[in-house]
Amino acid sequence: MEKNKHFLQKITQLNNYHYQNSIQYKKIVDLVYSSKKKIKLDEIPFIPAKLFKEIDLKSIPSKKVFKVLNSSGTSSGKPAKIYLDKENARKQTIVLNEIVSKIIGKKRMPMLIIDEKKNINNPNKFDAKTAAIIGFYMFGNNHEYLIKNGSIDYKSLNKFLEKYSSKKFLIFGFTSLVFENLIKKVELKKLKHNFANGILIHGGGWKKMEEIKISNKVYKERLKQKLKLINVYNYYGLIEQTGSIFFECKGCGCFTPSKYSEILIRDKDFKTIPNNQKGFIQLLSILPKSYPGHSILTEDIGEIVSNNCKVCKTNKKFKVYGRAEQSEIRGCSDV
Amino acid sequence: MTFEKEIKYLVGGPKFNFEPFEPFNNDVIKFLNSFSKELANVENLKDYPDLKSLSFWCRKNNFLNMKKNYNFSYARLGVGLIFHITPANIPTNFAYSLIFGLLSGNANVVKAPSKNFEQINIICRIIKKLLKNNTLLKDKITVVKYKNNQNFTKKLSSICNARVIWGGDKTINDIRSYRINERALDITFADRYSFCLISSAKLKKLKELEFNNLIKKFYNDTYLVDQNACSSPHLIVWLGDQCEKTKNKFWLKLHQTIKNNYNLTESAIIEKYSDLCKYAASLRNIKSIKNFNNLLYKIKLNSVDDKNHLNRGKWGLFFEYDLKDLNKLKTIVNNKYQTVTYFGVDKSIIKKFVIDNKLKGIDRIVPIGQSLDITLLWDGVDVISSLSRGLKIQ
Repeated sequence: MEKNKHFLQKITQLNNYHYQNSIQYKKIVDLVYSSKKKIKLDEIPFIPAKLFKEIDLKSIPSKKVFKVLNSSGTSSGKPAKIYLDKENARKQTIVLNEIVSKIIGKKRMPMLIIDEKKNINNPNKFDAKTAAIIGFYMFGNNHEYLIKNGSIDYKSLNKFLEKYSSKKFLIFGFTSLVFENLIKKVELKKLKHNFANGILIHGGGWKKMEEIKISNKVYKERLKQKLKLINVYNYYGLIEQTGSIFFECKGCGCFTPSKYSEILIRDKDFKTIPNNQKGFIQLLSILPKSYPGHSILTEDIGEIVSNNCKVCKTNKKFKVYGRAEQSEIRGCSDV
Repeated sequence: MTFEKEIKYLVGGPKFNFEPFEPFNNDVIKFLNSFSKELANVENLKDYPDLKSLSFWCRKNNFLNMKKNYNFSYARLGVGLIFHITPANIPTNFAYSLIFGLLSGNANVVKAPSKNFEQINIICRIIKKLLKNNTLLKDKITVVKYKNNQNFTKKLSSICNARVIWGGDKTINDIRSYRINERALDITFADRYSFCLISSAKLKKLKELEFNNLIKKFYNDTYLVDQNACSSPHLIVWLGDQCEKTKNKFWLKLHQTIKNNYNLTESAIIEKYSDLCKYAASLRNIKSIKNFNNLLYKIKLNSVDDKNHLNRGKWGLFFEYDLKDLNKLKTIVNNKYQTVTYFGVDKSIIKKFVIDNKLKGIDRIVPIGQSLDITLLWDGVDVISSLSRGLKIQ
C-alpha cells in the first residue's frame, strides 16, 4: 500500500512535468485524453512504444541532450530514439545497480559477455544491445567476450573458465544470443570446464525464441543439461525505461516490479483489466525525465498473476507472453 | 538458367507465347465466363468475399457491356506479352490485372503476391483447369511467385511489350530501374490518396433503412480492406450546410457496424493508436479527436493544406473537415488524389470542380459503396486502349 501511494505521487508529478516540458506530449494529452487532473494510476496517459520510432520525444532542450539510445528497430527499419540528459543517465545507472544487486549481491564478479566486443564509435549514440552491455558492465570485472570475428573464441573462453569458474562468475547476454551461442553452438568437447558456478543474466525479449518455439522452461532446462548452468535470471524491460527493469522470481517465474516501476494490463478498448487476464502490457517508471517515457504501452501481451509464491511474496507480478498477434494488412498501399 | 529455380510457376511455365489477339475476343469472354462459373461453385466461397466479387465481375454480360463502350472505328490488336507486377497485400488484384491484359488482347506473365493467400491457389487452380482445352490462350497465361528475384524481373522486363506495375512509389521506382524494350511501355498504378464528400443536410433526410445502407456501403469501402486500398477514403469532407446531429449519427452508426462486423487485431490496435498519437503530436491543424473504443478514430481538422494527402489512416482512422465551398479544395488536390466517393453531392459539381480548376488529381468520382469496384478506366488510364495498338488504314 505504502508503495502505491508513494509511486502514484511520484508518477503524477513526473506526468505533470512532461506535460509542461514536452510540447509533443502536451499535444497528445490534450487531444487524445481529456485534460482533467490525473489522480489515479490508470488515468495516467500512455505513449505507445512505437511512437519513439516515429517522432522525437523530448522534455529537455536539445543542448542538454547527453546521449541518444537507439533501439534496433528491426520490424519497421526505423530505430527508436531516446534522448537522455546527464541526470537521467545517472539515475538509470543507480537504479539498475540497486535492482541487480538484489539478485547477485554487491560484490563484483568476473564477467563473461555473450557478444562480440564492439568499438563504440560514437559514445553518445548506441543501440539497445550495446546499451544493455554497458549498463551491466559495472557488475563485473575481468570482462571477457565470448565471440571473436563472428565465432566462439574457445581459447579466451577456456582461459576465462580456467581462471574463474571455480568461484561465482557472471554471464550476461541477450536472450537470443545466449541461445544461439551457449545453448546451440558451444561444443562441449572443446570446453575444459563447466558453467556450474555461473550466474546468467539475460534479457532482450523472446521474439526470436518464440519463432523457434523455445519456452523459458526449455531454455533453462537446456542450459542446465548442457552447461550445468543453474543460476539463470531473465529480465524484462524497455529501452524507453532503461534502469527500472523487471527480474523474474526464482520461485514462480513471474516478473516483479521494483519500487521504481508499475504495470497495468489493458484490453482492446484500453480499459484496465483484472488479474489473471491477458492484455496489452503498460509499464510505468519514475525514471524517465528527459523524455516522456514514464508511461508506455508496449507491443507485448501479458497478464498480472496472483499466486501464493513463497519466494517473491509480492502481490503484484506478471507474465509476458510475447508480441501481440501480428496480422497482414489488406489493401494495396505499401506505405 | 539458375535463377529459374526460385520461380514458382502457379500457371504455365517458362515458355511464353507472345502472340496478341484483338481486344474483347469472344473466346476470352467465354473463358472468363467459365472462370466466373467455376469460381462461383468453389465450396467455401462465403469465406472469400473478394472471390465472390471477382466471380461476379467476370460474367459474360459484364464484359459485353464494357465492350459497348469501345466502338473503335479502327482495327486493334494487343501489344504482345505483358508483364504484371501486382500488389503484395491484395489476394485477388493479380487476377484483375491479368484480366486487363486478356481483355486488351495480350499474353500475360503475372507476378502474384509471394504471400500464401488461399485465394491465389483457388484462382490458379481454376485457370489451369480451363486452359487445358483452350487453343487461343494456351501458353498465354503464366502466373509466377517469387521474392526479390532481380534476374527474373530483369529478363521479363527486357522481353515484354508492356509492364503493368502496381505498388507503392518505391516498388515502381525499383521496377523501373530494369530496362524495357524501346517500343515497350509501362503502365503504373501507384499509391494514391482518396477522400469522401458528404452533404450532411442531404444525409439528414435519409430514412433509417437508407441511412443504415449507406453506412454499410461506407464500411465496405473502408474496413473491408483495412482502409488500406488506394481508393479507400482517409478524409471525410462535410460539404455545404452542416448538420452536427446527423454527422454524429453517422459516426455512431458506423461505430456500431464496425463493432458487429470487424475484427481489429492486437497489433493493428497498437499501430493505429501509435498513428493517432503521431498525428496528435505533429499536426498543427487538429481541432479535436474522438476515439470510439479504438475501433474508430476521428480527427477533426480546422484546415487542410497541400500536405493533406500525407495524412492517412489505416484500420479505421479518419480525418474530417467541414467545408462550405468545394472550390476551396483546388489548391490542395495534387496528382496523388484518386477517388472521390460521394453522397448527397451532385456528381456534375465534382466533375466541374476537377475540370474548371484544371486539377492534376482525382480520376474517379463514384458513389459511396463503389470505391473498390475495378473498371477498365482505372487511375485515369483506359486500360484497353493503352494495352493495345490501333491500325491506321486509309
